[in-house]
Amino acid sequence: MRIVIAEDDALLRAGLTHLLRAEGMEVTSAVDNPTDLLAAIEADLPDVAVVDVRMPPTFRDEGLRAAVEARGRRPGLAVLVLSAHVEDSYATELLADGAGGVGYLLKERVGKVTDFLDALHRVADGGTAMDPEVVAQLLLRRRADDPLRSLTPREREVLGLMAEGHSNATIAALLTVSGGAVHKHIGNIFTKLGLPTTDAGHRRVLAVLAYLKA
Amino acid sequence: MTDHAVRGPRLPRLAELKFLAVGACTGTAAWFLLTGLMLSVAPIVTLPLLPRTALAARGLAAYERRRTGRYLGTAVPAPPPPEGDDIGAVLTSPGTRRDVGWLALHATLGLLTGVLAVASPAGVVQNVLTAALWPVLPSATTTLDQPVRSWGDAGLALATAAGYGLAGAFLVPPMARWYARLSAARLAPRRATLVERLAEVTATRAAALEAHGTELRRIERSLHDGTQNRIVAVVMHLGMVERALLRDPQSALPMIRTAQDAAGDALSELREVVRQIYPPVLTDRGLRGAVAALAAHCAIPCALEAAEELPRAPAAVEAAAYFVVAEALTNAVKHSGARQITVSLRTEGDRLTVEVTDDGHGGADGTSGSGVVGIQRRVAAFDGTTRLHSPPGGPTVLRADIPLGV
Repeated sequence: MRIVIAEDDALLRAGLTHLLRAEGMEVTSAVDNPTDLLAAIEADLPDVAVVDVRMPPTFRDEGLRAAVEARGRRPGLAVLVLSAHVEDSYATELLADGAGGVGYLLKERVGKVTDFLDALHRVADGGTAMDPEVVAQLLLRRRADDPLRSLTPREREVLGLMAEGHSNATIAALLTVSGGAVHKHIGNIFTKLGLPTTDAGHRRVLAVLAYLKA
Repeated sequence: MTDHAVRGPRLPRLAELKFLAVGACTGTAAWFLLTGLMLSVAPIVTLPLLPRTALAARGLAAYERRRTGRYLGTAVPAPPPPEGDDIGAVLTSPGTRRDVGWLALHATLGLLTGVLAVASPAGVVQNVLTAALWPVLPSATTTLDQPVRSWGDAGLALATAAGYGLAGAFLVPPMARWYARLSAARLAPRRATLVERLAEVTATRAAALEAHGTELRRIERSLHDGTQNRIVAVVMHLGMVERALLRDPQSALPMIRTAQDAAGDALSELREVVRQIYPPVLTDRGLRGAVAALAAHCAIPCALEAAEELPRAPAAVEAAAYFVVAEALTNAVKHSGARQITVSLRTEGDRLTVEVTDDGHGGADGTSGSGVVGIQRRVAAFDGTTRLHSPPGGPTVLRADIPLGV
């Protein structure tokens, strides 16, 4: 897998490069600002770009804007955005183009290497990887008459994992239940929320996130 | 002020004459406004006119404050603005009472000094014209009502003109200075008001220091007792891992996981502390973006009214406004039973105004609910004002005005 990294902190940039190379991936460029990131994406044609949100020159959300712009130039370009804090509105901006291949994770998730690599592969394959904290933010604000309240605790868990972008098989493994059980839970959730059933891919994530945003 | 240079030593009388002459015009306006105020108070039917007249009086006072300040070369301090735009606030404001008092002075003494000042050049002109034109206009009289029928009379008329001119030249400057100082003293807030204001500022400053101290202690505690201990645990477990790798690499695995979990906990605690000090989204997106995020997270539908390009305020003011909105929304969700909330942000002059309106059942109490008290304290620390208007049955409006301090 060809990867471009944009992270302004030297130690983290080196660490991330080392970690990915040790896992047998090809880090084609590791840059520290949004301009170089856009240039590197043009030159290297990576499978996925791993981008920090705060970067020079103003240390606000340059990385996020660069990621959105890069996807504008190369539709469908997979980007995994990393940040020290998450805002669900940023996730919405990344997902706005409706194309797959979007990840938005807290930086510290890198530490759980297996999960991080799984998220990276999912994003590179056109899937979604939303940080559990983004999903938690979305689940937190609910109105009194919300249909979400009619979900069982287990169904809420399944909904959260769906929103994070996991496949049915992964959800089954994470909750240690059978694939059939997950399938049944998902059917119940979609019925209770009045959502049209979709395939298990990126569109399902979008539908769930859009529902939670509304 | 620059007007000092304009009315330099060469033409001292002209500026003074002008000051009093314009005073005659504004004095006339003051007379009409004063009459208007009294007339609209007397019969009940004209009461609705009162606020407008009062606002006009305040406008005239503000104009005179600038003009007198320019003339005297020192700015005339203005009384505090009314706490709100509504009629009641304007009418009961101490500033309005002060301005109406000044209006009475200006409608009488201001008008009189103005007329006297204008009478001098007018007298010169009339007497000179009467003296010059007596052969063609025999019916014209001097200002002393003397007819001019001979060159002798004409000489007398010229002498009268000279008298007017001299009187004006000697009397107008001291009169202008005297009246300007008198008027300025009445236009400025009462000395007692300034003393009260100073006491208020001192009190809010003390409260702000106290609140700041509490905040620092809280941050210190959560960093010291929480985050630091977690990182100590990480370091300790890494040390154990180091030893384990030399002896039995397999046994290192659970320690590594423990270290990782402890580091993760430290990071989420740090995120929480950072959010309480200064929410990162404020840095990224400014006040509008940050409040939009708050509105989006609110459990009750919440609309945001703010200019797309809200001017950036000092970081501390933006943070205060952000926390005011956050606390007001929390309160509304907990207590109001509202179905719709509107948050409005605007910069007016030198202050940032935050208004949170909900259509709930009202009856919110600014004294008991710790939420509102917290908001008041936060705003007062910036010498701002908080007002809660929550009649039974609603709607509830919480408004905070925070000076930008620039």
